[in-house]
Amino acid sequence: MPPARIRYALIAILLIAFSVFGAHAQALLPVPPLTARVIDTAGTLDAAQRGTLEAKLAALEQDKGAQVVVLVVPTTAPEDIAAYANRVGNTWKIGRKGVGDGLILLVAVQDRRIRIEVAKTLEGAVPDIAASHVINEAIAPRFRQGDYAGGLQAGVDRLDALVRGEALPPVAAPPGQAGAIENGFGLFEAAILLFIAVPVVSAVARGILGRKLGALATGAGAGGLTFVVTASIALAAVAGAIALLYALLAGAMSALPRSRGRGGGWGGPVILPPSSGGWGRGGGFGSGGGGDFGGGGASGSW
Amino acid sequence: MKSWLIKLGAVLAAALSLGGCGYNDFQRLDEATKSAWSEVVNQYQRRSDLIDNLVNTVKGEANFEQETLTRVIEARAKATSIQVTPETLNNPEAFKQFQAAQGELSSALSRLMVTVERYPDLKANKAFSDLRVALEGTENRIAVARNRYIQAVQEYNVLARSFPTNLTGMVFGYKAKENFTVANEAEISRAPRVDFGGGAAQPASR
Repeated sequence: MPPARIRYALIAILLIAFSVFGAHAQALLPVPPLTARVIDTAGTLDAAQRGTLEAKLAALEQDKGAQVVVLVVPTTAPEDIAAYANRVGNTWKIGRKGVGDGLILLVAVQDRRIRIEVAKTLEGAVPDIAASHVINEAIAPRFRQGDYAGGLQAGVDRLDALVRGEALPPVAAPPGQAGAIENGFGLFEAAILLFIAVPVVSAVARGILGRKLGALATGAGAGGLTFVVTASIALAAVAGAIALLYALLAGAMSALPRSRGRGGGWGGPVILPPSSGGWGRGGGFGSGGGGDFGGGGASGSW
Repeated sequence: MKSWLIKLGAVLAAALSLGGCGYNDFQRLDEATKSAWSEVVNQYQRRSDLIDNLVNTVKGEANFEQETLTRVIEARAKATSIQVTPETLNNPEAFKQFQAAQGELSSALSRLMVTVERYPDLKANKAFSDLRVALEGTENRIAVARNRYIQAVQEYNVLARSFPTNLTGMVFGYKAKENFTVANEAEISRAPRVDFGGGAAQPASR
């Protein structure tokens, strides 16, 4: 009986899927939400100390684009600090999209353990041995004296210098400025847009307005959109003319209507965000989403 | 007779169209497991290179325990002689051999690291401590790479075993792949015994 068999197979798939969740359902320490550049769930830093660190890390990101986050937790039990740091890194995925320059400085206060977890892109700037030196020379001695803020400050200073010494891709212009859209949305994207959108839009417009009026509307729409996006009259005229021609030709040739239900959906996602620099808008903080943590970095204790 | 055939055909077609035949998924996941495996081998290779340097540094230390050192050298030689390429990944025998050899090297290495604690000169040696950090970083990378391989294989095996994509797998010869296992599962699941009454601590076996 095939239907019963399908049901069994589906149940089996579901069970396997749940077993995947089951593997994660052990009582692991949850990854805290990425709310700031300095996250302190152990309560070791006061507001002023946190502010100084935040400012330093924000300046680094503004200059170099690299995202560095300091995380202080009471303990990483039951996991090893390296395993936890890696899990945090791959959950947050800090680092610019397409670049992946993220770094986490993790401290487990009760475990007396420090970890610098480095995303793959920054493994050249902060190799394991350099990370180990930062921990043993800058952070651990101050932690031994109970000076957590000083240790973190010194550690961040050293990491800052290491990252600044690396040739990373330049930071994109902050979004919101007039230039940013023009840079991000060039001739190429406009061409892709036209190739994809014009057939759909023209079919819909022809369906609603009739052949000639629809073609005119398509041409005007393509021209107008190109002007808005690229701010170039010449490009807009060319795009409009091509779209008009296409719509007229397609209308003349097609006996079969090509109206699909998807035509309405094209208004929204057309304006692509600039390819990099997805964070720092309005002073808020979020992950760039590009970081890939492969276990690089070093651990230490005090 | 004929209507029965048509019914069966319709049910089969419905089942296949339900999940697609999965051929492209096989291609995608097969490639994903291969690249995940390459990363595993890559990191093991790096560890092997580092061990070479480490052994040379430790050799410089006069009257270092020869037996521990020899065991590491032998285990390394054995581990590097077994290469598992993505093509032989479907061979469970070769996979087990590879895993066993690397596991042996891991335990020989951790024994060496415990022994080193008794040599203060060596511990203070800067080149040695840097090598140690590099080795530790590589062990972490191995752990991550293995983890990713396990996940990739899991995804692939679910596809290879579940209906109806298992039919596609059968037709094109995509079998379930071997995954990492823990060799000493019983040993690990026992609670660790802590003994402070003299004697060196038992090194953590991997």
